[in-house]
Amino acid sequence: MNAYSPSDLKALVEEERIHRKAFVDPDIFQMEMERIFHRSWVYVGHVSQVPQPGDFFSTRIGRQPVLMVRHTDNSVRVLYNRCAHRGARVVNEECGNAKRFQCMYHGWVYRTDGTLAGLPMQADESVDGFDFSNPDLGMRPVAQVDQIHGFVFANISPDGPGLLDYIGEARHAMDEFVAAAPDGEVELAGGCHRYEYKGNWKHQLENLTDTYHVIATHASTVDPDGKQFKRRSGTDGAEARFYDDKKQPVILDIGVSVYPHGHSSTESMFPEAQTGGIWEEYRRILAEKRGPERADELLKQKIHNLTIFPTFDLLVVQNAIRVIYPIAVDRTEVRIYPIRMKGAPEAVFREQVQYVNLTHSASSFVQTDDLEAFDRIQVGLATEAQDWVLATRGRKRERFDNRGVGHGNKTTEIGLRYLHRHWLEMMCAE
Amino acid sequence: MAAVPEGDKSGATMADRGTLERIVFLEGELLDGKRYEEWLDLYTDDAIYWVPAMPGQKSPENHVSLFYDDKHTMLARVTRLRHPEIHAQLPASRTCRIITNVAVEDAAGNAESLDVTSSHMIVEYRPGSEQRIFAGRCRHTLRRDGGRWRIARKRFDLINCDSAFAALTVPL
Repeated sequence: MNAYSPSDLKALVEEERIHRKAFVDPDIFQMEMERIFHRSWVYVGHVSQVPQPGDFFSTRIGRQPVLMVRHTDNSVRVLYNRCAHRGARVVNEECGNAKRFQCMYHGWVYRTDGTLAGLPMQADESVDGFDFSNPDLGMRPVAQVDQIHGFVFANISPDGPGLLDYIGEARHAMDEFVAAAPDGEVELAGGCHRYEYKGNWKHQLENLTDTYHVIATHASTVDPDGKQFKRRSGTDGAEARFYDDKKQPVILDIGVSVYPHGHSSTESMFPEAQTGGIWEEYRRILAEKRGPERADELLKQKIHNLTIFPTFDLLVVQNAIRVIYPIAVDRTEVRIYPIRMKGAPEAVFREQVQYVNLTHSASSFVQTDDLEAFDRIQVGLATEAQDWVLATRGRKRERFDNRGVGHGNKTTEIGLRYLHRHWLEMMCAE
Repeated sequence: MAAVPEGDKSGATMADRGTLERIVFLEGELLDGKRYEEWLDLYTDDAIYWVPAMPGQKSPENHVSLFYDDKHTMLARVTRLRHPEIHAQLPASRTCRIITNVAVEDAAGNAESLDVTSSHMIVEYRPGSEQRIFAGRCRHTLRRDGGRWRIARKRFDLINCDSAFAALTVPL
């Protein structure tokens, strides 16, 4: 029995404001696990994390432990990381390689497709007639698994649209990002940053589409010349301009686009062509593959980031992905994985790895103040005298095209409005 | 003061060794005291301040790090720590550290550059947050620079370097 009926839920999300309970009520969090995390395409990992048969990566979908593994037939599977016998997590390492997975408790052994391979004292009469192909006696596969550009997503529910329909028009930004890799492929490399905060997972999700917070939250990152620190080498250096020469705040005209199913993208703060230093060699290599005009276009980076609801964010500007892991209603872990653009000069990867330390690590100049905001939101939302958080900005300026893609400019909050609209739709579905 | 090991050919004197240990202790004192400008001055202009994000991490170039700062970035960090609107430090962290098991090593094989290894336990408290403990082994590479010893490189391997962290706003 859910604590919230559909009409209770509908009362939580209005056109321009969201009720505080969506962020602080443990009952809502429990419903989110069931209705969003168990019914959406959730990012699991990238195929490059499991290049060889037997390679595995242990993670979770919502609160459920899963294992992404490359089977002997070279396909990438997603299995529940749970022993069929007594329920222990079978694989305890985060990543590695194994021919078989053996549970530590009673020694049941599984193949890399999850089927039961054997168990100790198998000749015993108690397992006479055991049907080893019965999936209930294996590590069960997650209902739906698919991938886009090697990014593996899984849906615990067998229902709903396929992955590509789910991502829909938002895939354009992903395609463009991957096309900027001279080999047309990307891989995760260089480990990951992990940070956590004492706040709801949606604070981070909202933040990814919120171009309005930048000037206030990140004031301490701005140099006296009104620009932020460099985010990459080369001529432009990707230094975001916060203030003009007269020290007046520049209204950052960073547009936001929203797509069906709660996805969104924000425009880049650094849309200029990247030139100088390592970028020249990169451009030359890319131009050989795609032609000079297309290479220039691809290296412009028109998109800052692309968010696929509910947990995946492609950080186009930093060549990285960000993944949100909800832990409890008031606790969230986030990971940042750098991406290697295959075929690009290795110096591009090395440089991005080092800049991502500054932009997205737990010690980063930027992230630390975002985390402070997330913690303070959770504390502030305990206030019962005021029920609503506001997402009004840019409401009158937003416009939609005939594909259902919406757009707002000038520090709009359109992204917040539409992610919560999709959230409500998912939550209300019985 | 560390004993000079048998067969040491570094040419470093006992006095040098005492000085090196004192620099490591002084660094801790300056960080705990938020005397960041003096802290920066302990480092050479080409210094590297590195806190790996993986146990036994081999390189800061092909793997992310919790901190991997050159002097320019260290200065930017300190400038930001002095900024009136650094929200993540309002209120500021207070730290207290214990530095022990100090040993001087002659990694480079000459008296111009010596390594000092030490164990650190740092307790951080920020009003309104839970107290945190950081622990790990540190390697300082010290170099003679204009008549004094300065830190050319610091590597700090936290035992939990690959865990998820709440904001790490102050250098460790």
